[in-house]
Amino acid sequence: MRAGSAVLEQTRSALGAAVRDARAGWSRRATLALVVVALALLAPAVLPLNGRMPDLAGFVYLAVAAVGLAYAVGLAGIPSLGQGAFLGIGAFAEAILRAKGGWPLLPAILLAVLAGAAAGALTGLAVGRLRGAFVAVSTWILSWIVVLVLSSFPGISGGAQGLVLPEASVLGLRLTPTVHYEVGVALLALAILVFAIVAPRGPGLALSAARRQPAAALGLGVPVARLRLGAFTVSAAVAALAGALGVELAQIADPSGYGPLLSFKLFVAVILGGARTPLGPVAGLLVISAFSHAAEQINAVRGLPPGRLEMMLTGYGLLLVLALGGAGLLPSAQAWWRRFRPAPAQVRPQPRAETLGRVQSSRALTARGLSKRFESLVAVDAVDLEVSPGSIHALIGPNGSGKTTALRLLVGVVPPDSGSIALGRQLLDGMSVRARALHGIVGTHQTSAIFADLTVLENTLVGAGLRRRFGGALRTLLATPKARAEMVSTRRKALAALELVGLGNDRDRPAVELPAHGQRLLMLAAALATEPRVLLLDEPAAGAAPVELERLANVLDELRQNGLALLVIEHNLRFVRSVADEVTVLEAGRRIAAGSVAEVAADEAVQAAYLGRQRL
Amino acid sequence: MRRVAAILAVWSLASGCGGDSGKTLLIAVNAPFWNTPYVGDTIANGAELAAKGLETGPGKVRFRIKRYDSGLSARTAVANVRRAVADGAVAIIDEGTGINASWRIANDANVPICITYQGGDGLVDPVGRPNVFRIAPTDHGVAFRLAEYLIPKRLRIALIVDDSAYGQEGLKALREAFARNSESVATRLTVPSGAPDLAPEVLRARRADATALIVWAEPATIAGVIAAARGSGWSVPVYTPAAGEDPLVRQQLANHPDWVDGLTFATGRPTAEVGAAPFLSFQRQYEGNFGVQAVGVRTPDGAQVIQPPDYAMYSYDCVNVLAAAIERADRVSDGEKILAALNQVSVGGANGDQRGFNERNHEGVVDDDVYFARFEGMTYAPVKDDPLSSTLTVIEQRR
Repeated sequence: MRAGSAVLEQTRSALGAAVRDARAGWSRRATLALVVVALALLAPAVLPLNGRMPDLAGFVYLAVAAVGLAYAVGLAGIPSLGQGAFLGIGAFAEAILRAKGGWPLLPAILLAVLAGAAAGALTGLAVGRLRGAFVAVSTWILSWIVVLVLSSFPGISGGAQGLVLPEASVLGLRLTPTVHYEVGVALLALAILVFAIVAPRGPGLALSAARRQPAAALGLGVPVARLRLGAFTVSAAVAALAGALGVELAQIADPSGYGPLLSFKLFVAVILGGARTPLGPVAGLLVISAFSHAAEQINAVRGLPPGRLEMMLTGYGLLLVLALGGAGLLPSAQAWWRRFRPAPAQVRPQPRAETLGRVQSSRALTARGLSKRFESLVAVDAVDLEVSPGSIHALIGPNGSGKTTALRLLVGVVPPDSGSIALGRQLLDGMSVRARALHGIVGTHQTSAIFADLTVLENTLVGAGLRRRFGGALRTLLATPKARAEMVSTRRKALAALELVGLGNDRDRPAVELPAHGQRLLMLAAALATEPRVLLLDEPAAGAAPVELERLANVLDELRQNGLALLVIEHNLRFVRSVADEVTVLEAGRRIAAGSVAEVAADEAVQAAYLGRQRL
Repeated sequence: MRRVAAILAVWSLASGCGGDSGKTLLIAVNAPFWNTPYVGDTIANGAELAAKGLETGPGKVRFRIKRYDSGLSARTAVANVRRAVADGAVAIIDEGTGINASWRIANDANVPICITYQGGDGLVDPVGRPNVFRIAPTDHGVAFRLAEYLIPKRLRIALIVDDSAYGQEGLKALREAFARNSESVATRLTVPSGAPDLAPEVLRARRADATALIVWAEPATIAGVIAAARGSGWSVPVYTPAAGEDPLVRQQLANHPDWVDGLTFATGRPTAEVGAAPFLSFQRQYEGNFGVQAVGVRTPDGAQVIQPPDYAMYSYDCVNVLAAAIERADRVSDGEKILAALNQVSVGGANGDQRGFNERNHEGVVDDDVYFARFEGMTYAPVKDDPLSSTLTVIEQRR
C-alpha cells in the first residue's frame, strides 16, 4: 500500500515536472504550429473541398514521405534517391496483403511498414560506407530495380491494370478521402514534430556532427554508422507507411506510380524546401505542386505535355536552389527575413555549469611494440609509449615521423599491424573507437574539425552525449523524466567544459564564427565533455598567438591537475617545454628518445634528427 | 439587401423553371494523351465530334468534353475518374486502364464508363460492374478471329507478346483461342516492351520452326519484331491486333517500306453491311473538324498516307448512346435513371452498325465485327481470303 502510494506520488511529481518543462519550453511558434494543425484538420468541415479531398489527402501522404526523406537527407546527410522505391514497397506490401491475402487493414499496414523498414535497413547497410554521390547513384538504381521488378511480375503487381484493394474500414468507420486527409495531416504533424524535437537534441546533434565531420564525430564516440542506419531505416519506414496509406486512398496499386521520377520529385522537394528544416520538405512539395499547376496552364495555352513540363520545371527549381547555395527556400527566406528584422537576442536560460570532476584513475595508457605499415612505408615501428594520469606526455618529431599515425593507433581509428595497447591492465586491442572512448580514451584532430552547422554549446554536447544512458531517439522524443534529467546534467557538463577552455561566453555562437584557435579550443572542450581519462591532442597549439598559447598551457595544466593523462603532439617546442612532463621523440616511425624534457633535449640523436639548432 | 434577395429569388426560379434541358453536361475523356497521342487524341476527337453534332441537333442535351491524361497509369486513371466525378461528369469515355478500380468510384456516383480502346476480358461485366460499357473490339473477339483465320492455313504460329498490360491481356486471349489447336502454336514468347533489339527473340521463334508470327504488343514492339525478322531475311507473315495499324509502326519502319508489306492486323470494321457511306460521312466530319491525321509516311508513288479515324468512331458512338439514354431518362441529373436507360437505347453508329446495350450485354462491338486488313505500300485494305473481310470497302488513305 505504502509502495503504491509512493509510485503514485512519484508519477504525480514526474508529470508535474513534465508540465513545468513543457510550459517553460512553450513558445509563440509552438502556439502558431498548433493553430495551423487545428485549422488544417478543420478545413474539410469548413471549406468546400469535397471534390478535391482525394488529391489533398494524396498530397499530404506524399508530404509525409518527403519529411521522412528529410530524416535521411537533412538529419543524416544521406542523399537518398530511393524514397519512391520504399513508398512502392509499402504500397505493394499493403496491396498484396489486402487484395490477395485478405488481411485486415491495420495488420497489413504494420507489415507494410516493417517491409519498408527492412528494405531500408538492408539498403542502409549496403550503402552505409559509400560516399554521397555513390549513395545517390545506388539508391537511384534501387528505384529502378523496384519498379522493374514490379513491372516484370504482373501476376504479383497486377501489371498495368494494377492491384485493386478492397474498401477499407476501421471499427466500422469507412476510410473516405476525408478520413485519409485527417489521418495524413495528423501523421504529417507528427513527422514534423519528430524532426523538430530530434534535430536539436542528442541524436540529431550527433547526426549533424556525423554529417559534416564523420571522423571527428567518431572520435567523440558518436556511433556514426548506427545512427545513420537508424535514420535511413526510419526514413524508409515512414515512406512505406505513406505508401501503404496512399494505396488505401487510391484503392489501386500499379508499378508506374512508384518509378524513379517519384524518388526524384521527393528528393527535389526536400532540397528545394530545405532539408534541415522540418517544414522544408512540405514547402518544397508545395512549390512542385505549383510547378504542376503551371505546367497544366501552359499545356492549356501552348499544348505542351504537362508531365514533362512539370519535371522540367522541377529540375530547374533544383538547379536554382543549388546555385543559390543549396540551403533551400525556407532557410533562405528565413535568412532574408532576418536581414530586415533581426531576431531579438534570446537569453536562453542555461543550467549552471558544473566543474569537471577529478579523474579518479591511476591507470596509465601504455603501448608496447606498436607498428603500422602502409604498403612499403613504415609509419610506426615498434614504438613503446606510456601516458600516466596527472601528466602531460609530449610526442614530437619531424614531419612524417609517425606522430599522428601513433595517435590514430591509440584511439583506434586504424588498427596496428603489431603491438599492444592497454589502459592499466585492460587490453584495448581490437576495440572500436567508440569502445575506447567509453573507456575514456579520446583524441582530437590535427586539422580543425568542428561541426560547422552547430553552435559552440551544441558542438560540446555532441561530446557530452557519449555518456548518456537515456539519450536515444525514442526517449528524446518522449521526453521521459530520466531523459530530461540527464539532458540537464549533460548540458551542465558541456558548459563546464566550455568554461574550462574559456569559451563559456561564446556558447550560443555558431561554431564557424570562432577564430581558428577558438575552434581548436572547442575541439578540446568537446573532447573534455566526453569525460575522458586519457586525452590525445594533435597539435593543439597550431596557429595560436602567444597569449592564446599561455591560455592553452593553463588549460592543459588544469587538466593535468585534475588527474587526466594527456598526450600532446606538438611542433611548438617552446610550448612543449612549458607543459610537458615527459617527451617521446619519433623519427621515421621509430622512437629515438624518451624521457624528461631535459633528458631529451640533451640527447644527441634527437638534436641530429630533429632539433638541429633549436633547443628544447 | 432586398435587391440581392430579389435577384437570388429570380435566379433560383429561372434555373428551376428550365429543368434539366439546356444544361451543358460534362463528359470526361480519360486516356493517355502524351504517352500514346494517337490513342488519346482519337478517342477525345471522336467524343468532341459527337458533342458538336448534338449541339446542332434537335436533342435537349449539350455536352462539354474534358480531357484527363491517364499517362497509361492505372493509379492516375483512377485519380482522373475521381476528379471527373468531382467535376460533375455525367459519363466517362475511357481508354480502359485502371477500370478494375475506377468503375467502383464511378458506380458510387452513378456515372457510366464507356471503354473505347482496351478489349481485355473481365473489364466489362453487366452484373458485377453495371456502369461499365464498351464500344471497342474485345481481345476475345480479336483472338478468336485470328485463330479462326489462321488455323485453316496450317501455319505454325509463334505467339509473341510484350510485357505490357496490352500484351499480357492479349496472351490470355490467344491462349484461350488456340487452346484446342495447340499444334498450331510453335512457341510462345514474351519480350520486354521498349527493348531496343528483338533479334534474339525473333531468332528463337525461327528456330521453333514458326511459319507465322502473331505479335500482340505495343506498336513499338511490333515494329521491332518486324525489323528483326525482315532484317535477318526472314519473310515470315506477321499478324497483329489493332496496334498494327497504329501510325507508329509505319513511322518506325519508314526506311524500309517493303518490310511493312504483308503485315496483317485484326480490328473492328469501319464499314458495315450498309456500305461505306456512313463511315465516309463520319470521316468527312472528323477531318473537317480536326484535319486529316497524317501518318508521316508516303506510298511508293509519293502520296501522303493518312490514318482513317476508325477508332474515333467508338467514342463518337458512346457519346451518342449516352445522349439517347439521357433523352430517354428525361432527367440529366438522375444518374441512376441514365444508367438504366443505357440498357434500353440503341443508335446508329458511325459505321452504320447499331450500337446499344442491354442488361445482359454491355459490349457494343460483337466479335464478328472484327475484320482483317493487310498493308501494301503503306496503306491497308481488307483481306480477300476471309469472308467477313472480303466484302468490306477499301477506305481511301492517300492524299
